[in-house]
Amino acid sequence: MSNPVKKTRLHDWHVNRGANMAIFGAYDMPLWYPSGAKEEHVVVLTRAGIFDTSHMSVVMVKGFGARDLLQICFSKNLAACVGKNQQPLTPGRSVYGVFLNEAGEVIDDAIVFQFDDALFMVVVNAGMGAIVSAHLKGYVGSRKASVVDLTDQVGKLDVQGPQAARIISHILKRPQEVFTHLPYFSFKGHFDAAPPTAETVTLTDGTSILLSRTGYTGEFGFELFVAPDKFVDLWQMLIDAGQPSGMIPCGLAARDSLRAGAVLPLSHQDIGAWLFKNHPWPFALPYEIDGHGFTKDFVGAAALQRSDSGEYTVAFAGFDLRKVSAADPAIVLDNRERDIGRVLTCATDIAIGRHESRIFSIASPNKPDEFTPRGLSCGFVKVTRPLEPGQIVRLKDKRRTIQVEIVADIRPDRTARKPLAKFLGK
Amino acid sequence: MKEISQLNLPQNVRFTEDHEWARKEDGAIRVGIDDYAQDQLGDVVFVELPQVGDTFAKGDAFGSVESVKAVSELFMPLGGEISAINKNLEESPELVNTNPYEGGWMIDVKPDDPGEFDALMTNDAYLEMLKGL
Repeated sequence: MSNPVKKTRLHDWHVNRGANMAIFGAYDMPLWYPSGAKEEHVVVLTRAGIFDTSHMSVVMVKGFGARDLLQICFSKNLAACVGKNQQPLTPGRSVYGVFLNEAGEVIDDAIVFQFDDALFMVVVNAGMGAIVSAHLKGYVGSRKASVVDLTDQVGKLDVQGPQAARIISHILKRPQEVFTHLPYFSFKGHFDAAPPTAETVTLTDGTSILLSRTGYTGEFGFELFVAPDKFVDLWQMLIDAGQPSGMIPCGLAARDSLRAGAVLPLSHQDIGAWLFKNHPWPFALPYEIDGHGFTKDFVGAAALQRSDSGEYTVAFAGFDLRKVSAADPAIVLDNRERDIGRVLTCATDIAIGRHESRIFSIASPNKPDEFTPRGLSCGFVKVTRPLEPGQIVRLKDKRRTIQVEIVADIRPDRTARKPLAKFLGK
Repeated sequence: MKEISQLNLPQNVRFTEDHEWARKEDGAIRVGIDDYAQDQLGDVVFVELPQVGDTFAKGDAFGSVESVKAVSELFMPLGGEISAINKNLEESPELVNTNPYEGGWMIDVKPDDPGEFDALMTNDAYLEMLKGL
């Protein structure tokens, strides 16, 4: 008997809304709604989009040995990971990193949130709760640490886009308090009905939520966590509150094209069962401020330090919106038509375009007059030699060959880190 | 996505298993993709068409239609020479979604064998095929 398809609590809502559904990570999820993947991508840059992300897994790590356990297993040094001066992680702050195996390969990427010295929340990808929990438990030893897999037991959704804070304000009891001092990768509140945290975030109907300034689009926005029995209500409250501002529900297609343009990896596609070295995400590793060496030892560190795979993962942007199909597979050709690697991700960021060799987005404050971007293909390749930004390669699948440029960044002028104050008020 | 009962499957066109339609138009056969195909694909952002004068056999790939998410190949419902292509699709590929049977038409074909058109499915037969999918 095959595994039944899993559904989030919003599954019927998505279907009734006319979503085009598809299986992702064992869950039947909306790819796009009748608005279409193009509008859903653009709306996150111009207004706001709301995404059902409750298929992702939450794992709690508790006890006086919790911090130690995470220091052993997680790729960031919790004592030196916040800000450019590498301050310690403190309650109300979160950090992005990966869990590696002893061979230095990625098991999954994750965000670790600290509630207090003995309570951490780890958010991983869909279907990964059990695997990451088992991995952590394997390193507990004699420490006083427990790992609790809360897969399917926490409601989570994302609100992303310039209107995100204004829209969420409408459903909060004390919005002005909540939206004071909430920098990128910080959070307030808890999804427990009796929240163990000092600062609570309460909805107008009394529900407790955890409001996190994180997301997967690279744009300004939030992730909201809530008890599962309140999840559908929270979603509907936001749908209603967001309607006057033009917020629409967005599916996984837009989520994927937005994250690709934001140079963010997709677990098990851009990062995975190969050495986590030579890639565009050094911020996921605990480098010294000067970049030489790690500030701590952790599972996989030795493999990263002693080995090299001779492979390099780099980002690219095309010259028009035409893609190749990475699944074909699609190969990478250098300027002498030699096969130098594979395409990991090739998506279309429909909100960007080139003008006189620079890339602008529809949201770029300095974009040229009458600039209407038609979209560019973009994503990641894994190749057998180092490539520099500016170099041109060709990507070839069964059907076509496209010319692309290796780049340090893709969609410019992203808003995720911009000050909160910029997005509040009228 | 649309339910089968919500699909627009006109009487005056024939259909293929690959969800293309074909219709007699001024001595040529006009071809495009149908409502089921455009609904499944989502927002069309690019259509790759052959050149006028190119020749293909029935079943050959003659181009591709690209959505934000993926690229799909287009297959000849019948063999023949391309006598016209819809240049509007270059500027407005979304016509394939909004008007798949009229404004979103793709190619005109001068057929080698008129029998190939007659062998294509009527909308009733195509509907039955969809139900079995």
